[in-house]
Amino acid sequence: MTGPVAGATPARARISAPPAAPATAAAPRSAAAQRSHPGGRYRARRIWLRARRGMVITLLSVLAVIWLLPIVYMVSVSLRTPADVFNPSLVTTHVTGENYAQVFADNPIPRYLLNSVIVTVISTLIVVAAGAMFAFASTVLKLRYSRAMFAAILITLMVPLSSLVVPLGALLKQFGWINNYLGLIMPYAALGIPFAVVVLAGFMQDLPRDVFEAAVIDGAGLWKFLTRVVLPMLRPSLIFVAVWQFITGWNEFFLALTVMTQNQMMTLPLIPQQYAGVYLGNPGALFAILTFVAAPLILLFVVVQRWFVAGLLEGAVKG
Amino acid sequence: MRRRVVVAEQPGVARLLGSRRRAYLFLVPAVLFFAVFIGFPIFSVVQASLAVHDTASRGTGPLANFSAVLHDPVFWTACKNMLLWGVLTIVIQMVVGGTLAYLIETYAGRSKAVLRTAFLVPLVTSASVIAIVWEQIYAPEYGPLQDILGHLGITMSNSLLGGASTAIYAVIIINIWEYTGFSMLLYIVGLHRVPSEIKDAAMVDGITGRRYITRILVPLLSPVTKSLVMLGIIGTLQTFPLVYLTTEGGPDHASEIFGTQIFRTGFILDQTGYASALSVITLLIAFAATVMQIGVFGARLTVTGR
Repeated sequence: MTGPVAGATPARARISAPPAAPATAAAPRSAAAQRSHPGGRYRARRIWLRARRGMVITLLSVLAVIWLLPIVYMVSVSLRTPADVFNPSLVTTHVTGENYAQVFADNPIPRYLLNSVIVTVISTLIVVAAGAMFAFASTVLKLRYSRAMFAAILITLMVPLSSLVVPLGALLKQFGWINNYLGLIMPYAALGIPFAVVVLAGFMQDLPRDVFEAAVIDGAGLWKFLTRVVLPMLRPSLIFVAVWQFITGWNEFFLALTVMTQNQMMTLPLIPQQYAGVYLGNPGALFAILTFVAAPLILLFVVVQRWFVAGLLEGAVKG
Repeated sequence: MRRRVVVAEQPGVARLLGSRRRAYLFLVPAVLFFAVFIGFPIFSVVQASLAVHDTASRGTGPLANFSAVLHDPVFWTACKNMLLWGVLTIVIQMVVGGTLAYLIETYAGRSKAVLRTAFLVPLVTSASVIAIVWEQIYAPEYGPLQDILGHLGITMSNSLLGGASTAIYAVIIINIWEYTGFSMLLYIVGLHRVPSEIKDAAMVDGITGRRYITRILVPLLSPVTKSLVMLGIIGTLQTFPLVYLTTEGGPDHASEIFGTQIFRTGFILDQTGYASALSVITLLIAFAATVMQIGVFGARLTVTGR
């Protein structure tokens, strides 16, 4: 019951728990400590705190492993021979790469990957650029009417995509963008910009004002001011926005299902459903596809998660 | 807080630079995207809901499609399912995510990053992958879930996804597994923004343990909680892939939601009028939720915990 004080400053800790107590031992009135012999009081409390911390971490680790089981099961089944596939166990005894070989030989998998990369990368670049420009104009430049437009953008955040698929589908058909990369790039960008604006505007408000004045005195143009002064300070939150947009765009299913009807144009999330029927008798191959669809983003996320979380925690580079 | 007030009173940088007209160009890309791909579709779906008539429409008046939707028992099943979905997913994800965030940030030390990542992996995995993996997990006879239940002497006669009374809950469980990491993430951000002065003051006053959590952390984290409620409502309204890929709204419409109903009527049955009317109703609910949020909580949406 004493956890929260772990973040206290050492100076404060020393006030309430005198001799040589580390910050974590500063918690007063621990039940175990009260009961113990007065001389061993601090040591008993320290042991109790350490034991409890160990128990919590063990519990969290067990939970984390349980949380990952469906992913482990997916990879595990993808590596099995047909004889083993219907075994409910998580462990694969005879590991085989056959399923992957078969899936790659039968289908234009690299083409789907390319489609996903093109759509996601371009829409992410648009979102970051347009979002940063809008946030800059409304937050830093404080243009007239920009407040009203900011409110309009906020309301857009509340529009569920499912209410837009029907009219968007009709619009994209008129543009001739069915089975065209633009049919996904442009709507993904439009749907992603509001979130980018809200996040970036929030962090831009926190930027130190004197930096702006220094730039004005230097006589930097607005564009130069945005790209050379403001954006470098916002690098963590730009990374956060880009990663978030990349994840949502890469995984988007509903609109992709209505826009990309030709097999050659499909993005990765559409593929599992395409082959669920084809590989009905061979879940090993189906799970190889699933693993291939899921792996790029999971691996990317494991690599960038440090900056992703930091972008949320820090926002702007201080100083 | 005080600094922001001061900033608001100062003129924008544009005025100082003396180039206001050119500055408006910075707004153009976002506004164009908004107008073409969000504003116009909203306008046209409202128009279609009133003007287009299809095989499902009831009568010929402008509200024929809305009448069709409101008289459709499937719509009411979907409403019930979405209410259930919203309440269960929002509350459970919030409580579990908040608890995880607190325990990880308080106790985890060096293993923080690994633990956070473990709970975030489902969030970055495509729903289309998740749906098929969970179909296998739920499968009777050879599925891993049956394997576990088998040790307890329970035998599933068919998949939880295939039973009329269990289907929606089976999908809700998948959703909770996928999105709890998101609630955790926002609470982690909120926890990092608790000022250290408050932590110190609480400690000096001897407020620790359960009282620290209920009296100090929970109220301080309420902006995050409000955002999660709002995002949860929007997320519920746009749920689609998980349900579509696991049950397609079945068996016999038992797990129908707005998304699956819009897709079936709009793209398979070609009932554009019905689909548009249901889209407009979805929009109105989202709009009402937004207004309610502003009215009741008086909060602006925040992802940064402020």
